[in-house]
Amino acid sequence: MSSSDSNSSSVDDPNPNPKPLDNQLETLNLEQGSDSIIIQNEDDEEGRQQDQGSSLNGSLNVNSDNHEQDDRIGLVRNVVWRRTNSEMEVDVNGPSSPSSSGYAGERGSSGVSEDDEIQEVAKDSALHGGFDSQAAWLPGKRHVDEDDASISWRKRKKHFFILSHSGKPIYSRYGDEHKLAGFSATLQAIISFVENGGDRVKLVRAGKHQVVFLVKGPIYLVCISCTEEPYESLRGQLELIYGQMILILTKSVNRCFEKNPKFDMTPLLGGTDVVFSSLIHSFSWNPATFLHAYTCLPLAYGTRQAAGAILHDVADSGVLFAILMCKHKVVSLVGAQKASLHPDDMLLLSNFIMSSESFRTSESFSPICLPRYNPMAFLYAYVHYLDVDTYLMLLTTSSDAFYHLKDCRIRIEMVLLKSNVLSEVQRSMLDGEMHVEDLPGDPLSRFGSASHLGEHQEPTDSPGRFREPFAGIGGPAGLWHFIYRSIYLEQYVSSEFSAPINSPHQQKRLYRAYQKIYASMHDNGNGPHKTQFRRDENYVLLCWVTPDFELYAAFDPLADKGLAIKTCNRVCQWVKDVENEIFLLGASPFSW
Amino acid sequence: MPSRRRALLKVIILGDSGVGKTSLMNQYVNKKFSNQYKATIGADFLTKEVQFEDRLFTLQIWDTAGQERFQSLGVAFYRGADCCVLVYDVNSMKSFDHLNNWREEFLIQASPSDPENFPFVVLGNKVDVDGGNSRVVSEKKARAWCASKGNIPYFETSAKEGVNVEEAFQCIAKNALTSEEEEEIYLPDTIDVGSSSQHRSTGCEC
Repeated sequence: MSSSDSNSSSVDDPNPNPKPLDNQLETLNLEQGSDSIIIQNEDDEEGRQQDQGSSLNGSLNVNSDNHEQDDRIGLVRNVVWRRTNSEMEVDVNGPSSPSSSGYAGERGSSGVSEDDEIQEVAKDSALHGGFDSQAAWLPGKRHVDEDDASISWRKRKKHFFILSHSGKPIYSRYGDEHKLAGFSATLQAIISFVENGGDRVKLVRAGKHQVVFLVKGPIYLVCISCTEEPYESLRGQLELIYGQMILILTKSVNRCFEKNPKFDMTPLLGGTDVVFSSLIHSFSWNPATFLHAYTCLPLAYGTRQAAGAILHDVADSGVLFAILMCKHKVVSLVGAQKASLHPDDMLLLSNFIMSSESFRTSESFSPICLPRYNPMAFLYAYVHYLDVDTYLMLLTTSSDAFYHLKDCRIRIEMVLLKSNVLSEVQRSMLDGEMHVEDLPGDPLSRFGSASHLGEHQEPTDSPGRFREPFAGIGGPAGLWHFIYRSIYLEQYVSSEFSAPINSPHQQKRLYRAYQKIYASMHDNGNGPHKTQFRRDENYVLLCWVTPDFELYAAFDPLADKGLAIKTCNRVCQWVKDVENEIFLLGASPFSW
Repeated sequence: MPSRRRALLKVIILGDSGVGKTSLMNQYVNKKFSNQYKATIGADFLTKEVQFEDRLFTLQIWDTAGQERFQSLGVAFYRGADCCVLVYDVNSMKSFDHLNNWREEFLIQASPSDPENFPFVVLGNKVDVDGGNSRVVSEKKARAWCASKGNIPYFETSAKEGVNVEEAFQCIAKNALTSEEEEEIYLPDTIDVGSSSQHRSTGCEC
């Protein structure tokens, strides 16, 4: 984060009801437009290959098939180690370094890789989905034929690795884990070498690449990325990957490593590649991965109440959590007394269920662990799909509750059908989230009162996503998109994408911009900020954090600042007006 | 999917500097030999897929530096090893004498669960040098030492001419594989709601 025209009023606002945004910004002297930040140009699919020059050499030399082994791991000549107490940064000279050891692949580019590249681009652009179009994404691991000697592997924009503290590979996003055993050993050697000195390695910068490390007892997680995402974001993603692993196995795996350091975890994770690749994919479309909040399917208040009531009934009969979801959106959610569910656990649980094809085909009963609830022990999840996107999860502590939960499900399903909840859910999926074009106007200049979300369903029954009444201009005052996160409810609402943020590529870029501004707003070093106004060649981003909510809004880069601020106030008012429909109220832990 | 899961075996190669650890590995993995000596810095890593009986598995070979200044890397490197290969130069008595230190150092640092039966393999390298005329460690002496340490398998090798290298690594793989312990059933606890209070962290750390 180089220079941002962010402003912080560092002292906590004692006023619980935040003043309108313009009052706050009035007092701040913002420099508009002068220090726009540099936005990455290659922010599309990580799998896409980047320039040949900036591959991973220089920092991590793994000699898997060559015979010119000059530089070995650990003490590479062109590495400068800088240590501070708890943080270490390593600067590695750029890829031009003459002493970087040769992969076979480095010595010459071949026509093969160019063919590869063209294929990649074509494939990825077709595959990539936005916030809601992730259905187009192909599950499962890709490029298993690659290893660290492949040019294509080295050009991937974002790698994730899980390995054991003895250097045995557990998971790699790309390539075959066994072929990457040497690379995995290198990563372990780096981590252990620094650990031996009583220190920890957190981040290595090598040219455009960041190598982020996360040590969780005997499990090491590493991300190698040239996507220019902030360190905090990448680290958060590693935390989620670790959480996903805990969800599948619990933290009891640590005991296996204590007993036997050479323990091989991969068989325990057999068949879960698709769970991890789906989670990694969600890092580029699902705001829940950095907001630590969940989102609800918009529904009329009464409809959600009806769903909640029947879930409540079963929760009283020995069910710890009863959750009804449609894709990644919550329809309703009920916890037994005192039990509350962390949004990250919900994200990981729904990812686990949606990515595993077998849950769709029949009712299932599976042990799962909720890392934020209790990382050491299993719960049991009864899962049943009520329609193609809507699924019910009943979590219990009893391993022999299958038949009881099946009975519960039958009761729930009957009530949901009778009260039309399921058809309402499907209709809401078609209508989509809030549309910026529907932002109620100034009360004075517009005739109607604030329109409610449930009321704007036009008889044209066109799916919301595809209507573009004012193509190319988005909502009022150049508003393109917003995300509103309620801190108290731990929920967020994100507006439907509309013109001009149409393509998955643009959506991902905006998402990354949000992620970046989120990280800067929550940066402990120079925060917490309350407002931030940022203009660059792609957008105006306006961010407003209060004790109650956070608002992230994207505008046309030419948007007028004063108008944008007014519009944000209107968005907040709009969200308040329809909160009964877009949020699950009464689900907060404090209300039980 | 193969009927049986693929195993990954971590193999550590130890021995004095200059005895030919890297050359042995290069001969084994790449079928190449160079007369030029280049000291290994820290460690070098290679992988090789091996077929043994009906099983396919991967050797993750840690070729360590022999110089003493790298000894501090020990714990980090030795952890979780499945097999340890001790290499000496048959033309250097000192390198043979040091085998004992290497073995003990390894057992201390790696602290395997069953040190008595941890699989080692000893390689006497450079048998080709000078037609064997400069040899100072006899095969008999080497075999006696191996026998005294729990019948460690012993091979006389030449990395240069590829003598016995394949055989030695076959044995290494076999020993590493047999040391694979019978796996216990993985059975974590189930939450007991009655006794445990809720574990939820208070809010998110943002």
